[in-house]
Amino acid sequence: MNVLVLSGYGINCENETLHAFEVVGFKGKIIHINDLIQNPKQLNNYQVFAIPGGFSYGDDTGSGNAMAKKIMTNLYDQLIDFSLKDKLVIGICNGCQILINLGLVPSLNKKDAEVALIENKSGSYECRWVDVKVSNNKSPWLKNISTLSLPVAHQEGQFMIPINLLKSIKANNLIGLQYINHHKKLAKGQFPFNPNGSKDDIAALTNQNGNVLAMMPHPERAFYHYHIPNWQSKTIKKFGDGYKIFMNAKKFFA
Amino acid sequence: MTNTIQILSIEKTGKESSLQKEYNNKSIKIIDGYFFSTNLDDQKFTKISKLISNDVSQTILTKKNVNKVLSSYSNFNWVVEIKFLPGVTDNIATTVKEIIKDNLKSSFKSFELGSTKIILIKGRKEDITKISKNEANPLIQTIKIYPFKKYLNNFKKNQFKIEKVKLPKKKYSKKEINLNISDHQLSLIGKLGIEENDKSRRGTLGLDLESLKAIRNYFSTIKRKPTDVEIETLAQTWSEHCKHKIFSAKIDDIHEGIFKKYIKGATEKIIQLRKDNFCVSLFTDNAGGIEFNKDWIICHKVETHNTPSALDPFGGAITGIVGVNRDCLGFGKGAKPIANTYAYYLADPNKNYQLYRQKNNKDPMLPANFIAKGIISGVRVGGNCSGIPTPQGNVYFDDRFAGKPLVFCGTVGIIPKKIKGKLSHKKKANPGDIILMAGGRVGKDGIHGATFSSEELDPNSPVSAVQIGDPITQKKMSDVIIRELRDENLYSSITDNGAGGLSSSIGEMAKESGGFIVNLEKIPLKYNGLYPWEIWVSESQERMTLAVPPKNVKKVIKRFNSRGVEATIIGKFIKKEKAIVKYNKTEILNLDMEFLHEGYPKLNLKTSFPKIKKEKKKIIKKSSLIDKLHKLLSSPNIVSKEFIATQYDHEVQATSIIKPLQGEGRVFGNATAIKPLFDDEKSIALSQAAYPQYAETNPYDMAGCSIDTAYKNLIVSGANLKKIAILDNFCWCSSDEPDRLYQLKEAAKACYDYAVAYQTPFISGKDSMFNDFKGFDKTGKSVKISIPPTLLISSIGVVDKISHLTKITPDDDDILLVLGATRNELQDSVYSKIIGYEKSKNPVVNSKNALRTYKNFEKANKLRIINSAIGIDLGGLGIAVTKMAIASKKGLTIDLKLKNQISVDQFLFSETQSRILVSIKKNKLANFKKIFKASDYTIIGKCTGSDVIEFKDNKKIMRGKISDFAKSYKQNIRGL
Repeated sequence: MNVLVLSGYGINCENETLHAFEVVGFKGKIIHINDLIQNPKQLNNYQVFAIPGGFSYGDDTGSGNAMAKKIMTNLYDQLIDFSLKDKLVIGICNGCQILINLGLVPSLNKKDAEVALIENKSGSYECRWVDVKVSNNKSPWLKNISTLSLPVAHQEGQFMIPINLLKSIKANNLIGLQYINHHKKLAKGQFPFNPNGSKDDIAALTNQNGNVLAMMPHPERAFYHYHIPNWQSKTIKKFGDGYKIFMNAKKFFA
Repeated sequence: MTNTIQILSIEKTGKESSLQKEYNNKSIKIIDGYFFSTNLDDQKFTKISKLISNDVSQTILTKKNVNKVLSSYSNFNWVVEIKFLPGVTDNIATTVKEIIKDNLKSSFKSFELGSTKIILIKGRKEDITKISKNEANPLIQTIKIYPFKKYLNNFKKNQFKIEKVKLPKKKYSKKEINLNISDHQLSLIGKLGIEENDKSRRGTLGLDLESLKAIRNYFSTIKRKPTDVEIETLAQTWSEHCKHKIFSAKIDDIHEGIFKKYIKGATEKIIQLRKDNFCVSLFTDNAGGIEFNKDWIICHKVETHNTPSALDPFGGAITGIVGVNRDCLGFGKGAKPIANTYAYYLADPNKNYQLYRQKNNKDPMLPANFIAKGIISGVRVGGNCSGIPTPQGNVYFDDRFAGKPLVFCGTVGIIPKKIKGKLSHKKKANPGDIILMAGGRVGKDGIHGATFSSEELDPNSPVSAVQIGDPITQKKMSDVIIRELRDENLYSSITDNGAGGLSSSIGEMAKESGGFIVNLEKIPLKYNGLYPWEIWVSESQERMTLAVPPKNVKKVIKRFNSRGVEATIIGKFIKKEKAIVKYNKTEILNLDMEFLHEGYPKLNLKTSFPKIKKEKKKIIKKSSLIDKLHKLLSSPNIVSKEFIATQYDHEVQATSIIKPLQGEGRVFGNATAIKPLFDDEKSIALSQAAYPQYAETNPYDMAGCSIDTAYKNLIVSGANLKKIAILDNFCWCSSDEPDRLYQLKEAAKACYDYAVAYQTPFISGKDSMFNDFKGFDKTGKSVKISIPPTLLISSIGVVDKISHLTKITPDDDDILLVLGATRNELQDSVYSKIIGYEKSKNPVVNSKNALRTYKNFEKANKLRIINSAIGIDLGGLGIAVTKMAIASKKGLTIDLKLKNQISVDQFLFSETQSRILVSIKKNKLANFKKIFKASDYTIIGKCTGSDVIEFKDNKKIMRGKISDFAKSYKQNIRGL
């Protein structure tokens, strides 16, 4: 089981993302996008393609846009090909924004971008922990998980989805994660439970196969028990909730 | 054909809602504009627009649709167009250019473009003027306000313009400067700069008459005139900013200067006293380093960026943080930045100070809230975009920062002890090594930054002194260095380009080999037309200088290029102790290294005892205890800084282990911790402290309090008492006045005494000596505003085990105790400022008692006797108790039946140092008593788990609801 973790141009969560995959049993490598463009064939050596969080191109022209355009120009076919195979793709935070801009999720109409991630309703960057529930457990990434407590850290995390598309997203069961409140009910847009004002409290979307997951929260930052806020007052064993996502990837190939 | 692409968000953006809220006007819309230097045909327009917009969330304005689209939002009547002045870093434009280049490849070569923010409003002209003042800074941006009709017309007629840097096409000829002139003429060169042929002056050199005379003497000995480049270089190298002349000067009877005697002296003494030296690199490198574990070193550096932040708060602050990140990259062979710290000392953002740099209300200081907001967002963008967590910081407000804000930016880095078998903190540029400049290009930005930060802020402060950081360029460069080149051992030395630019970085690095030869024409420029001296001293950001053995040069350059980073050979290091600079083969600088670095005249400073401005007694306002607590909690210096913590990413790198917001109730903590390695549970605890409010009363005690608090906070967080190092950042004022120098000497003396007492070494430091504003108030009266002397002590410590990390939240039935005695020390406290005081003293640290408390605390904590703990600082015990309750959402009862001679208010609000509020489980009391003597603690109450805090004295019970306290504590700071 091999994971390719993308880096370059301001992506910055590659180390911790790779670490999380390695702990659950993957072998992996951080590869600079320019090296991948030079030699796209190396994608064949990997079963998981991960785009970690970060600030590619400083979020200029919209978060994830510039990197998505770079991929589109130089790697698009190879990545589409990868996503159509029995393989897994994950985009976390900036990675999520890139996948959305590439149109790899929800990928209902097979055109560029169908959904947008716009600035948080609060108008500011939000680094805080949120609770999410799994809305689609057919995705291999999310199987057998009910809720997760994870941090978000973004300026542009508000899903904006045209109304008709939202209907098909729901009909096809493509909402991956949704923000919930302290009572485990949908946040209904209420801040800070829904940190960005996202439509229908959406925190993650998948493609139709469920093998491509684009999520705004950071599972790799909720990997160990000591990542969790106020862990000293809690009885948590070794791992935090983020671990479950990476374990699911392992189980998929096991 | 068009020369602009303008993009609009379909839905209201966060920025639009905040503007709409602020100005109570629903008809405000923002357009992202891009102005091109060439016309785009329809095909290119469509293609590029698509590349830089999102068709789900945005609309592209065209000549055809612009009127219709905009009128669907409102009937706009005014427009403000904000774009960067030519030559100012425009990061968005850089990205757009890169996207276009990558996608359109060769079909679209030479063009310029500028990003523009266009704000539309339906309202009065006054409103748009007000918005423009709050959204733009005339120092770096052009602001055009015009009617909406004109905007439509501009659109139709392609009249949006981009201004290019217009530099006269000038051919450089070597310029020699005659220094055999009158003293008056000589000092004009120092103050206003070298005279150009047209009689204009280049801008301040910050050289005093004595220094210019030293230069004259040197050149008369070598029998030639100096070139302009030589004088500029000496000005940079000898600047207060680079040489710290005041700290190294003879002062009264201290011949070696206060740095050697008190700061370095303290560290040397500590190393001598302790057998377990954990210091690795002290004072000489870009940061100070200590041992983290057997394989790793951690380094820490804190810088200030005060003057630039006064002029351009956003640019100043972002440059401050990415600049100190480079100090870390330039530590040893290159440390990876793993945490940022910040501390801002600001004027009240809710006040309008109306200060002007020139008479007749000309050249105004930026409004206090603009400065505060700009600084906060500058560090946000710098830190977040670089992928470096920013967990630790604080903000303090005082009117005396109205003329100059203090912006402290710090970075912690980590580096393996050995790289390919060699010690990583040692580096040496060898004769024959190539000088390689990597990263950004050189422009006019930041020229004279180093010389001018040593001067007071006055009308002659140059505008080109402002830089704007580009964190992404730096991140790309940093990744190549830390991940690839360093570990392959491809270079022999590295340093950053900060103050003084190449003149400083190469000058410093060449000490390792002997000297250097640089060819200035090789240096890649942002635009043509720079003079050689400008290239040499420019402080354009995001550049590192490397010494690369010739055999590795090709490989290194190739690696940089393959990661989208420019790297250029600009010269070589030589053995001969000469500094040589050439421009198109003409030698324009040739100095002895010895003179370059040591030729400046040493100062001889005298101090005198200052008049003490005693704070007048203030009648205590009559109000209930609960009411007083609310007043203090909601005061700007105590109120929660959560709004900063949540906009600074402190989780990136997945190392955050003690977060800035603590407990379910989210209290802004005074120490944080990160766990930097996946395979070692050792962690790093960080804190900082400064007490400018105590400085005028007693600078010695002020410094003692800063050290004590910064040290104590780490002990409380669980750090190993023997593995705590500290950093000093002195921000002083009027350092040419004997009474200010007296305060400086006293503060430095306290640094020695307390560091040695705690055996916590200084590992790095920096000073900024002239934080004064000279200008005019709104009536035209001349005013001088000096900051209060401020000493920021930053502390960094190693936590051996995760289980040593403490929390601030008690559990039900816990006993509450105060460690350390409480004295009547209300003078200069938050309480005295808000409520008043009668007879009191300023806080004085008793290091012997304090150390006993800390050692016992550490012992008790390791034995798991301590259940929760919080350091007592601003606002005293009362505030610490309240914070504990807010954090845990658990009620407490506090017993105020006091035995000693102290009033309730003194007990609760005195800022007596070295105290810790702790809670322990009932069944641990016996064990606790085995460690602590009865005189070392006071039991003050217990945790009830209810929803109130109760204070009981002999007569009555006073109660306040925790949720009400939390409300006061989490109030917005007015003006922000």
